[in-house]
Amino acid sequence: MNDQAHLELQKQLERLNQQFAQRLHSDLAELAGLADELRRSCTADSRRQRMLALRERLHRLAGAAGTFGFDPLGERARRLEQRADRWLEAARPTTRTLEALARAIEQLARETPGKALQAAVLEPRENPDEQPPACRIYLLETDPEAGANMALTLRNFGYLVSPLRDFTALQDAVDARLPDALIVSVQQDSELERVAQLQQQLKAPLPLLVIHDHFDFASQLAAVRAGAQGFFARPLDITQLENSLERCLDRQQEPFRVLIVDDDAELAARYSLVLRNSQMQVQILAEPTRLFDTMRSFNPEVLLLDVNMPGCSGPELAQMIRLHDEWLRVTIIYLSAETDIKRQMAALLQAGDDFITKPISDNALIASVYSHAQRARSLSTALARDSLTGLLKHADIKEQLALEVQRATRSGKPASVVMLDLDHFKQVNDRFGHAAGDNVIRALANLLRQRLRRIDSLGRYGGEEFVAVLPECSALQARRIFDEIRGRFAALSFNSGDARTFSVTFSAGISETDGRTAPGILLERADQALYVAKHSGRNQVQVAQQ
Amino acid sequence: MAELRRILHIEDDPSIQAVTKLALEAIGGYEVLSCSSGAQALEEVERFAPDFILLDVMMPGMDGPETLARLRERIDLQRIPVTFMTAKVQPGEIEHLRKLGARDVIVKPFDPMRLPEQIRSIWAAGR
Repeated sequence: MNDQAHLELQKQLERLNQQFAQRLHSDLAELAGLADELRRSCTADSRRQRMLALRERLHRLAGAAGTFGFDPLGERARRLEQRADRWLEAARPTTRTLEALARAIEQLARETPGKALQAAVLEPRENPDEQPPACRIYLLETDPEAGANMALTLRNFGYLVSPLRDFTALQDAVDARLPDALIVSVQQDSELERVAQLQQQLKAPLPLLVIHDHFDFASQLAAVRAGAQGFFARPLDITQLENSLERCLDRQQEPFRVLIVDDDAELAARYSLVLRNSQMQVQILAEPTRLFDTMRSFNPEVLLLDVNMPGCSGPELAQMIRLHDEWLRVTIIYLSAETDIKRQMAALLQAGDDFITKPISDNALIASVYSHAQRARSLSTALARDSLTGLLKHADIKEQLALEVQRATRSGKPASVVMLDLDHFKQVNDRFGHAAGDNVIRALANLLRQRLRRIDSLGRYGGEEFVAVLPECSALQARRIFDEIRGRFAALSFNSGDARTFSVTFSAGISETDGRTAPGILLERADQALYVAKHSGRNQVQVAQQ
Repeated sequence: MAELRRILHIEDDPSIQAVTKLALEAIGGYEVLSCSSGAQALEEVERFAPDFILLDVMMPGMDGPETLARLRERIDLQRIPVTFMTAKVQPGEIEHLRKLGARDVIVKPFDPMRLPEQIRSIWAAGR
């Protein structure tokens, strides 16, 4: 498709989105009307009829809203639909649950004002000044002061935090809108049981971090049973908590990529469907000779490989893949009707990582592929990225810089190069220890990642030095963004091992591409601007003179 | 099997109908006939002679599964794959829909930009 046609298509899609947004007004009003009727109806039969009608409307909304970009609305509608389902299927449907459902539907209709809908449709996507959508965190903490303090720190990291005082408030908040993650602070294991129940109601459990008074076997077990991905004892190390939060949010981001190589089309299609429904990206390949091309374009993390194919066997293919170091990170799983353990062993000894014996249940397939994919991804991340910060390493960020400079030259839109250095970092290490110093570096890395866009690249250049490359962003815009980050970072309060607190600042220098200057020179200019910032009193951002 | 050219889309929601048609025509280059009900589809199916049928599950009146059963009386579903679209994603439900004779199931909400590719891969998998 050429650019013109593509643009035209985008326009038409946008028009459809707007039409849908307009339609939502009347749809939501109708829903509210039905909910009101439901509440007023007295006979069992009329209640049932109205509930059926409501369920149909909610179902429709659940399917359509996400397609037109209103994902949270669609998700809410889907959960309300499930509640309607449960009511309809209940042996003794109660008036109380009916009332609650009607209220929730009316609330949904009320809280979705038209202006916001229009804005959501018309909003341009990646503008450098615009913040990336912040992650929403619900924080359950009974002590209001502790809750407010934590919320403040997490907000400085760029999270949207709602502190909640008790479990009922948490349940209501989750019903109204799903957060991206949950942090609960508890004193007793029994409190975690309620969290576990809450998690079970959801389609997928929320990423959960637990802060607990006790650090023993039983409490950690209770946490894991509630779906915890992080466990913290008091006194709380908030940067460590933030680090863990970052990790479990990151894990959700991109779907795993799975390539199925199987000449049995029916079976491959079936596996593909099952995995796609678990939010994985799947590609099917029936022709083994095209394997390497497909792998290069699709970049799979897990390969499901049929053992018996015409032309060449699964183990042969696996050995061919293992000839190439670039595919070391891919997990190879054989699919086979083979139940002969000896032959399975022989295949694994040649190459490959695991076996799936056909037939396999859907859930077992999902679990097996998911666990391998997760392992493959964390290994791959660990190899390519700096172990402390998870950012690109020195060589990789330079490579990325070269790419972006080229791209900027082609597109004629300026990109900015930012070099950033912590102020007096040696003193932090000397006074508070290296563990505290590492915490500071990690916190800065996480904060930068939070505040920058997905298209921006970020690397750890040296010990306490960072480089960021911001495509389609002028030096002035970059300065505004980094000044804001600077303010937030300076406001963070760090704990040393012995309960002292301290804060740290950074200085930054910025240069802008001009279509002529080589990447190395741009980096030098940013470095010179950084030097100026350091000598003008630190804790500031300077733009290089062209 | 022939090339994939003509797609019959049965869906009662006008917004979904429009965005599906646009995506399949503009990106996929297919010819699309949209029907708002199972009854309308039954009237049109022989004349339009689709290569592929995309069928919504929950529709007022005649729902997706019933439409599928009635379509089977008229056309050869071995030759013309039917794929359901549904907002429900319980594993049991998808299994059930496949048992009814659907080639595959596409889950709503979906990304219009990726829909043609999804349909192409379902089509390719059946060959």
